[in-house]
Amino acid sequence: MTETLLRLHNLVVSAAGRRLVDGVSLDLEAGRTLAIIGESGSGKSLTALSLLGLLPEGLAVDPATRIGVEGRPLAPQDERGWRALRGRRIAMVFQDPMACLNPFMRVGAQIGETLQRCGIASGSERRARIEAGLAEVELPDPAALVRRYPHQLSGGQQQRVMIAMALAGEPDILIADEPTSALDASVQADIVALLARLQAKRRLALLIITHDLAVAAALSHSIAVMQHGRIVEAGPTAEVMDRPRHPYTARLVGAGRRLVDTPASTVPRHVVVAAEGVCIDYAARRLFGRPSRAVHGASLSLQAGRTVGLLGESGSGKSTFAAALAGLRPLAGGQIRLLGHVIEPGGKPLPKALRRRCQMVFQNPYGALNPRLAIGRTLAEPLELAGMPASMRATRIAAGLNEVGLDAGVADRYPHQLSGGQRQRACIARALLCDPEVLICDEVISALDMTVKVQILDLLKRLQGERGFAMLFVGHDIDAVRWISDEVLVMHRGRIVESCRSEELDLVQVRDPYTRRLLSARLMSRPAGENGIAPVREQLLRDAPVPSVAG
Amino acid sequence: MSVALPSAAIGTVRRGPSPRTAIAGLVLTAIIALALAAPWIAPFDPLDQDLLALNRPPGPEHWLGTDHMGRDVFSRLVTGARTTLMVGFGGALVAFVLGAGFGLVALSLGRVAETAMFALIDLIRAMPDVLLALLLIVALGAGAQPVVIALGIAFAPFFAYVARATFHREAVKEYVAAARLFGGSRLHVLRLHLAPNLVGGLVTQAAILLPRCVVTESVLSFLGLGSSPDQPTWGRMVADASRYIETSPHAIMAPVIAIVALTLSLSIVGEAVRRHLDPLRAAGEARL
Amino acid sequence: MKTLLHRLAPFAFALARMLAQAAGIVVIVFLLARLVPGDAVDVKGLDGDLTAAQQVALRHELGLDRSIEEQFVAWSWRALNGDFGDSIRFGRPVSGMLATALPTTLLFTALSFSFALALALSVAVGGVTMGSRGLRGLADLLNLWSIALPTFCVGVVGILVFSVWLGWLPVLGSMVLPVIIIGIDSAGVIVKPLHEELREAATSAHIRTARAKGLAPWRIALRHLLPTAAPVMLALSGLVLTSLVAGTLTMEVLFGLPGVGSLLLNAIHGRDYPVIQATILVIAVALVAINAVTDLLHRLIDPRMTS
Repeated sequence: MTETLLRLHNLVVSAAGRRLVDGVSLDLEAGRTLAIIGESGSGKSLTALSLLGLLPEGLAVDPATRIGVEGRPLAPQDERGWRALRGRRIAMVFQDPMACLNPFMRVGAQIGETLQRCGIASGSERRARIEAGLAEVELPDPAALVRRYPHQLSGGQQQRVMIAMALAGEPDILIADEPTSALDASVQADIVALLARLQAKRRLALLIITHDLAVAAALSHSIAVMQHGRIVEAGPTAEVMDRPRHPYTARLVGAGRRLVDTPASTVPRHVVVAAEGVCIDYAARRLFGRPSRAVHGASLSLQAGRTVGLLGESGSGKSTFAAALAGLRPLAGGQIRLLGHVIEPGGKPLPKALRRRCQMVFQNPYGALNPRLAIGRTLAEPLELAGMPASMRATRIAAGLNEVGLDAGVADRYPHQLSGGQRQRACIARALLCDPEVLICDEVISALDMTVKVQILDLLKRLQGERGFAMLFVGHDIDAVRWISDEVLVMHRGRIVESCRSEELDLVQVRDPYTRRLLSARLMSRPAGENGIAPVREQLLRDAPVPSVAG
Repeated sequence: MSVALPSAAIGTVRRGPSPRTAIAGLVLTAIIALALAAPWIAPFDPLDQDLLALNRPPGPEHWLGTDHMGRDVFSRLVTGARTTLMVGFGGALVAFVLGAGFGLVALSLGRVAETAMFALIDLIRAMPDVLLALLLIVALGAGAQPVVIALGIAFAPFFAYVARATFHREAVKEYVAAARLFGGSRLHVLRLHLAPNLVGGLVTQAAILLPRCVVTESVLSFLGLGSSPDQPTWGRMVADASRYIETSPHAIMAPVIAIVALTLSLSIVGEAVRRHLDPLRAAGEARL
Repeated sequence: MKTLLHRLAPFAFALARMLAQAAGIVVIVFLLARLVPGDAVDVKGLDGDLTAAQQVALRHELGLDRSIEEQFVAWSWRALNGDFGDSIRFGRPVSGMLATALPTTLLFTALSFSFALALALSVAVGGVTMGSRGLRGLADLLNLWSIALPTFCVGVVGILVFSVWLGWLPVLGSMVLPVIIIGIDSAGVIVKPLHEELREAATSAHIRTARAKGLAPWRIALRHLLPTAAPVMLALSGLVLTSLVAGTLTMEVLFGLPGVGSLLLNAIHGRDYPVIQATILVIAVALVAINAVTDLLHRLIDPRMTS
């Protein structure tokens, strides 16, 4: 028998007359985990914030909404009533822990605030409770940690502190809004496992808000799928994942699963880019400071018509290395052979004609398009620089847009009038107008929603088949990199630690410890039909150092 | 968490000027027109002293009355507008050319030159603008020209800073990297990508600094350091009349109201210009 | 030991920069006064009739016949020891004149600064925490006021209204009106950025976290909001002090306050170069010192800056 702790009925959140959340109802039960999944703009975060009465200024909850906490109704506008609940009955963990912790306060003091508010006034008791809380979230040396400032901790540690802070008031309900999205892949799994263990141990009613199907599947008992402010499908996790009824859910689940199919390899051909022992330095940040080395002796070989994946977490040096391959960064050591031309430390810059044959598509399509220029003007840039007369450009641009699946009318619009996926398509079209032999894709899908990601990957694959360029695909998403690549290189702290064919990238064949960690940190992405979803959750609990009390 | 708010900032909103801006624009136009037409519309010579009509209140003969030396206040006001506008605008122009030029040269010469040249600017900025202008006027002597130069040097650093900030903000953008990959030269990048942002930033800065230049000119001439005594300026008129404030308040109110009308309309119009230049950038960065 | 050095390094850097700037200002002030056509002896020659021989003798006595480098070294050495020479017009030591004028200016500056900061803070904090539209409008009004209304114009109108028409205050010598005028003007310079900073801080993620903890609004404002805005407040305080210089100058002249501003202006009109040099030097170096202190305070407040 489960008890319902929080009941939300017909939540409507609107801003300036637009309904951003439109009639969402859900129940949170003790000891159960509910995941709300959806893409950006689906209203899932607003739903979470409404459950704490924390909506940002300008957004209003419709008076018709009914919220009941532990059987008592609570008016959405009742700020005092909400404040009494926050921290004690309902607590929240947010997305970006670095931004969410107060940079001016020590970690211990920030947790202590919650305790003080819950009536623990004595300093020694508070101190003991803080340290116990930090130990509970599996942070080493709590006694030393309380004196630290947030910026002195890693992202994973910060998120653990956030969780400890949320749990300090012993709430019954924990809401976690994208708790792992700002973290590196290898850390994400640890935080998910921690949340699963804590939920079971404390019998929390846990609400997970995420765009990541894998996180939802690993943690939750049931899933609600949101799109355009409505819940389009809800049910037990395994059921939703295995037999999605709503087409949007099917697309979402399908998008995640598509990437698991092993792609067909292409035939080896002649080498177009070869890097040998490349070293790259960042310039010193201060006058007379020493430069810091970002890439240590990285090597790579890229063949025409084939794709090499470069996998790594943020700060691993993968983007720096990719930029150097395109001649955008000076080398501190080693050598790059790009289409027969040698790039060396202190060497001359690439000749212009050669530069055009190796193009790059960047992570942030907004930064890659000049906001002051219409798409047509932006796309004309490479043509203009190639000396094409103005009269011929329009048809070429229309054809280019068509090639990447965009309407020719897009040429008249400005970047901010397009969606993220459309912008990235425009960037790809622009790069292809140079007819490159090498295309470097630097994290091109990481800023996009799941369903759009898959579309862009499909597009790149199709274009490569049609045009036969060699591609370097830089990314941090194992499934995407593996799906699109023939070979995969793994980069860690500026070094290439693993190099294998993409179908060999699994725990059975890979030796390198860091790559193994990355692989084991992967949550789902295995076909749900084979071994189901629930086992993932059970496995997370089984690995726990904390004994589980869940029934 | 990402919350997309439907807001007017998204999308290029082009509306006509608000009533406030329209009024300010009209006032500004009127002041400039009066200044241009001064020699023809001034009923008296601004320097002519009528010793039989000292400190006269406004009347049919002298529209705004006369000052303590019997000079016609209206004639002095419109003639003074010429000097005030010329010196204030001239100072801003010199600052613009000097600051932007110095900044761009520093930026184009590489990192070391940039650091050194901007250290010099930092040094100049360590002194408040009025103090610096005073010092320069002491060195150059009083008069309209030295004041223009002094204002130019005192306000030039702002433009140099804007040039540097815009340059560094834009130069790391990925579309600049993309342009290099298309085979674009430095000049191409500067022309297509940097120049519009640079011009936008500099014009915005000019819109902020123009009223400050005009105020500083008035302060300097109020302190008796502006142009020569036979060139009436509004600041000097205030200073002259402040000694006779009890007997002839009208002589002081006329230039005070004129100065306030000018600076107020300049800053309102400047604000509108800024808003007009900014929405694109604002909308763009709001979406990141 | 090593950690101590690490912690002291930024302080040493700030100090070194301050000294370099001060030295630069000394050079500029010296050179600009030497650029002037005609020297101190010429000025004296205009008033009394000095014979050519007397002029030569006087030039030698004042050291004006030596090379410019020698003059600079001698002048800056004496300035470092607080000896700025004698006033040309009054024959008295400049340092003595500065010592008489400084208290007035310091008192005036301190009063105006406190008033400006108090006004700006209360309007900005009130506007953000209470969400009051009236206070937000007041912030905009103060801002426009400081941009569009030159202090000397407000001062003149103030004299007209409060001294001449109402007769509440004496025309000259009272500090009440100038402090209010400069205070409002300076508050207008900082109130808008302060308000915007506080607003941004109020919507920041860690303030939301604090609210999610269920903390009381006053506690959030005191422990979370104000520390976040402190660096900006410091920077803006520096800005206010800089803008105070111009205001002090005009107010002292207009209201007949015997401070450094009046001293400087009289010296400029009388071409009394030793006094001009000394006053500008004192003001500029004081500002450089203030900037260095705000920089140091910033490093002390923000834990991210020290490690």
